[in-house]
Amino acid sequence: MNKLLIANRGEIAIRIMRTASRMGITTVAIKTALEPAAPYLATATEIYDNTAFTTAVPVFLDVDRIIAIAQEVGADAIHPGYGYLSESAYFAQKCIDQNITFVGPAPDAIYKMGNKTIAKRIARKIGIPMVDGSEGNISDADQAIKIAEKIGYPVIIKAASGGGGRGMRIVRKPEDMERNFNVASNESRKAFNDPSVFIEKYIENPKHIEIQVLGDTHGNVVHLGERECSIQRKSQKLLEEAPSSALDAKLREEIAGAAVELAKAVKYFSAGTVEFLLDADKKFYFMEMNTRIQVEHPVTETVTGIDLVEQQIKVARGEKLAFKQSDIKMKGWAIECRINSEDVQSGFVPSTGRIEKLEYPSSKHVRIDSGVTEGTTITTGFDSMIFKLIVSGENRKDAIENCKKALDELWITGIKTTLPFFRMLLRNEDFVKGNFSTSFVENKLDNFVLADKNEEALAAWIATKLFFEEHFSDDSNLDYEKGKDLGPWLLNRRIGQF
Amino acid sequence: MNMMNIEKLIAVSSSGKDFEFEMPLKDKIVIQGEEYDIKLYYTEESGLYLVWNGKKYPVEIVKSKQNKYEILFNSISYSFTIETPFSLQRMKVLKVNKPSVGNISVKAPMPGKIVDIICQKGSKVSRGEPLLILEAMKMENEILSPIDGTVLSVSVSKDSTVMKDDILVEIEEKKG
Amino acid sequence: MEDILEPSQERNPGKLWSPSFIIKLNRMDLSGKNYKDFIDRNEALKKQYSPERAEKQHSKGKLTAHERISLLFDPGTFEEIDAFVTPADTPVEFGKVEKTYGDGVIVGHGKINGRLVFAYAQDFTIMGGSLGYVHSKKIAKIQEMALKMGSPIIGMMDSGGARIQEGVASLSGYASIFQNIIQSSGIIPQISLIMGPAAGGAVYSPALTDFVFMVNQTSYMFVTGPNVVKEVLNEDVTSDQLGGAEVHATKSGVAHLIYDDEENTILALKKFLSYLPSNNVENPPVLQEDATPDINEKLREIVPDDPNKPYDVKEVINLLVDRNSFFEISELFAPNLVIGFARIKGKTVGIVANQPKVLAGVLDIDSSDKGARFIRFCDAFNIPLITLEDVPGFLPGYEQEHKGIIRHGAKMLFAYSEATVPKITVILRKAYGGAFIVMNSKSLGGDFSFAWPTAEIAVMGPDGAVAILYRKELAEAKDPDKLKAELVKKYRDKIANPFIADESGYIDEVIDPAVTRKKIVSALNALSNKWVKVPARKHGNMPL
Repeated sequence: MNKLLIANRGEIAIRIMRTASRMGITTVAIKTALEPAAPYLATATEIYDNTAFTTAVPVFLDVDRIIAIAQEVGADAIHPGYGYLSESAYFAQKCIDQNITFVGPAPDAIYKMGNKTIAKRIARKIGIPMVDGSEGNISDADQAIKIAEKIGYPVIIKAASGGGGRGMRIVRKPEDMERNFNVASNESRKAFNDPSVFIEKYIENPKHIEIQVLGDTHGNVVHLGERECSIQRKSQKLLEEAPSSALDAKLREEIAGAAVELAKAVKYFSAGTVEFLLDADKKFYFMEMNTRIQVEHPVTETVTGIDLVEQQIKVARGEKLAFKQSDIKMKGWAIECRINSEDVQSGFVPSTGRIEKLEYPSSKHVRIDSGVTEGTTITTGFDSMIFKLIVSGENRKDAIENCKKALDELWITGIKTTLPFFRMLLRNEDFVKGNFSTSFVENKLDNFVLADKNEEALAAWIATKLFFEEHFSDDSNLDYEKGKDLGPWLLNRRIGQF
Repeated sequence: MNMMNIEKLIAVSSSGKDFEFEMPLKDKIVIQGEEYDIKLYYTEESGLYLVWNGKKYPVEIVKSKQNKYEILFNSISYSFTIETPFSLQRMKVLKVNKPSVGNISVKAPMPGKIVDIICQKGSKVSRGEPLLILEAMKMENEILSPIDGTVLSVSVSKDSTVMKDDILVEIEEKKG
Repeated sequence: MEDILEPSQERNPGKLWSPSFIIKLNRMDLSGKNYKDFIDRNEALKKQYSPERAEKQHSKGKLTAHERISLLFDPGTFEEIDAFVTPADTPVEFGKVEKTYGDGVIVGHGKINGRLVFAYAQDFTIMGGSLGYVHSKKIAKIQEMALKMGSPIIGMMDSGGARIQEGVASLSGYASIFQNIIQSSGIIPQISLIMGPAAGGAVYSPALTDFVFMVNQTSYMFVTGPNVVKEVLNEDVTSDQLGGAEVHATKSGVAHLIYDDEENTILALKKFLSYLPSNNVENPPVLQEDATPDINEKLREIVPDDPNKPYDVKEVINLLVDRNSFFEISELFAPNLVIGFARIKGKTVGIVANQPKVLAGVLDIDSSDKGARFIRFCDAFNIPLITLEDVPGFLPGYEQEHKGIIRHGAKMLFAYSEATVPKITVILRKAYGGAFIVMNSKSLGGDFSFAWPTAEIAVMGPDGAVAILYRKELAEAKDPDKLKAELVKKYRDKIANPFIADESGYIDEVIDPAVTRKKIVSALNALSNKWVKVPARKHGNMPL
């Protein structure tokens, strides 16, 4: 592998290119008309200018265009990052057909795990526990209502080829089914070009636990432990940590073992993630497998010391994994906060604007994976996640303390972000105790930001000060004499006119 | 040269809390009985910031219109109206004379496209009920009713694009 | 003796509103007869403005005339004139006339932010602020003084209208006030604050002045009130619905600025005045401090690539003018055109900008009227005009044509062409057809015309042009949509751009948006001594 084309943008493009460059691989980034000055371009060895090529479909979703670019620049490999084409079996196959290395799993594995119905069938066959649901996709709301009555409300509608919370809706009563079915289906069609959805029993207040797996093309599969991603809002992850405070060594072995089994069943190689729900009785259920690098992969990297992108590239080159399961040791604790450009106080709606000031905390415990800089304009055209703050510590308590400090040092103006949410969350008693589930954000929190009485009084003073400055500030700056002081040319003519 | 016929200014928060400040306003604030120095700075390099108790906090003016201010202080948004003793009194006087029903305009929180309209003119909506769906950042966002009431008008149509703060729906607040 | 006529300037901590200009007399120790009468009269005047009267006004959410005056003027600077006049005798006994001092209006002069300003404030607590003969003479007197001195005049209206008891004398009083306003128009700034009712003929006094401020919920303006509407048309309507601040700010355009309470109205007026010169010979006051950067790259990011996408032109304005200096006028009326004062390097300018966010920024009847009146004010008072242009044309259609968009659009054209103050245009995006000419084009006397690279200057938009020039080809084409798209692209690339106009001198320069402020600053400097000799005439005949 000599030249790697990054079929992605933002922080993940930068993160991939850093590792690739370190490994001596030339990287190519694609410049688009939507963000011709994006920070990720600065990290690339080469930039392919695609600004003149504007279509309704973003270039990063355009299989033919990406392949054509790879051929034009002479790239022998493509890294898809996450989102976009990362879980397109068609794209992976197209790469192979064109003799381009796809940095990721085999098309067959992507297809089997990407289609949730097939994935479930495989998981069931090897005896992994899972929740009741529709056998396969459902065609309309009526059918959904029938199945829901059989398995009992609440149920969850999910996109068959989805992920990341898109095309997902929880339904608690039959009269809400039709609207939610349509919304989920529409969203799914827009996000994944596939409107098919399925439903399953919705487990109340579960924890979201996922296992990072890594396989090579020689049949070896290992796991790199779990991540807990229970802090979510509307199925969008906000904060992830590794390891999880909900697992003990035995349960970890059990869940991770199931994940490795599943990966082996589809001859999985490269990095992948198997997601599980863990209910209050510590019973786990298989949810889905993501056949790509995850947004939250840095927490695993932090506790294992393994660079997952490096492993992806090595596996793609056909190398054998250099370590066995017993070589993998977890050390310490890592927490990732997703800094999204969202207005938390208005219900996490996207916030747009220009990042005026951006100062990251500086500490050896902090890693920042960012796709923005000062001056970056945030539009509604892209995902709202702008950077990730990853903080480590010796244990969970220590990591939380370090994270609080880092959040206090973070200075960002121009847009509204999830920063005040994390400042609040890290001080929440239940969170600190590990006492939370995926419904925590929506059901257990009354206030989404750190509400400090002093700060409100300070803010009141600021507002009053602004009003005072506007109306009562010293007017000695206003010079009336200067207005009267006209030169003879103008004065004579002005007066002469009248 | 300043006009000082106003003895104090009162910042009223959106939740109805009052904060009083003596005129002329000084760079001091009393918090829990203790007086602190407080100062607002503006520099081209750092923008607007506040220094209080030895710490620097970022300040941004989101909106300022007449005596209404929305500011982001330490990344959290606060809304205040600045009142004088008489304007507060006036507010109370005029509220007594006014019926207690208000109309609320639901505005677009961000630019985007209206993909579905759920409510109709005349429909009864309760707080938190979805009114329409706005697509932005590749997500469909349900725009929820902020109050219990009746939809007076829907000012957008399906597939129309809207700008931030465009009025989407007007709702008459339910009495009582 | 020095403490005899000491005005009470000290603040009374117990009471918020103490009229600072009522003379403090209790300490007088004089005994002669004349002095006794003098003291008695002063005592009587003091009693007249009793707390009960004030309370009545407060209970309606309104301040008294005294309180308004004391808020407006710098402490201790207001001098009242004719405080002791009494109402005229009525020809026939009909109804009661209160024999009070002052006849329901306070007039005088004082300083606002250190500058001489004349003012009158009607007092609703005295006979409902009704306008009798003496009342009108007081106003007329102060108006004439303001004109002689070349100083701004502020009128604060809170009046039930003409005093019925006094009959034609009160009507004639109105006429003399109107006459004075018209004589002073264009010589001194005249501003009206409506702080209570203004009904019937009284509305024309504010309507004739340069700017009208109103207070939400407590001020009304109408020619015929709700009672008459009920009688004649049998329609039920409240004062607020008929002529409240909101209605006049959004629908009629009569009110230029509206506020939620009287303090904010008066505070805003004080700020507003700081943009205006005292008269038409002087220039506006200059603000010293200004740290706004002359080059700002954010300006490049505002106009979207898609020519049909809206944006907020106020973002552009705020980056071009001195920080926080933009003072918008008539914000809610015809919002497709944005007007207002601002400062550039501390000097007042008038901004006229199409607003692509509303109706794509088209010119229509209301926006033409709004723009034309503002342009004429700026011209009269030596305020340079900055025009930001992004206009797709005039609003088409039956309604606009029938209501006379031709007449109204002509006002804007007339006003721009007639104006002799420095005139600078920046074409941000669309500049099509007649609207391009109207918006201060160079051939219409504009001094400097700049265009951003995003500008599209042409006789009409691409769709219209293609439809006309290629009618036949399009009708015959196998795939007309495809052909049209190709032609539109060609039109945009080859014709609708700023470069042809630049190369032929119809604009001065195509500029990088980032340097716009810098360009405007140097243009304003170059134009600071601009003088145009206008032909001698009585006056032009503007198409009103």
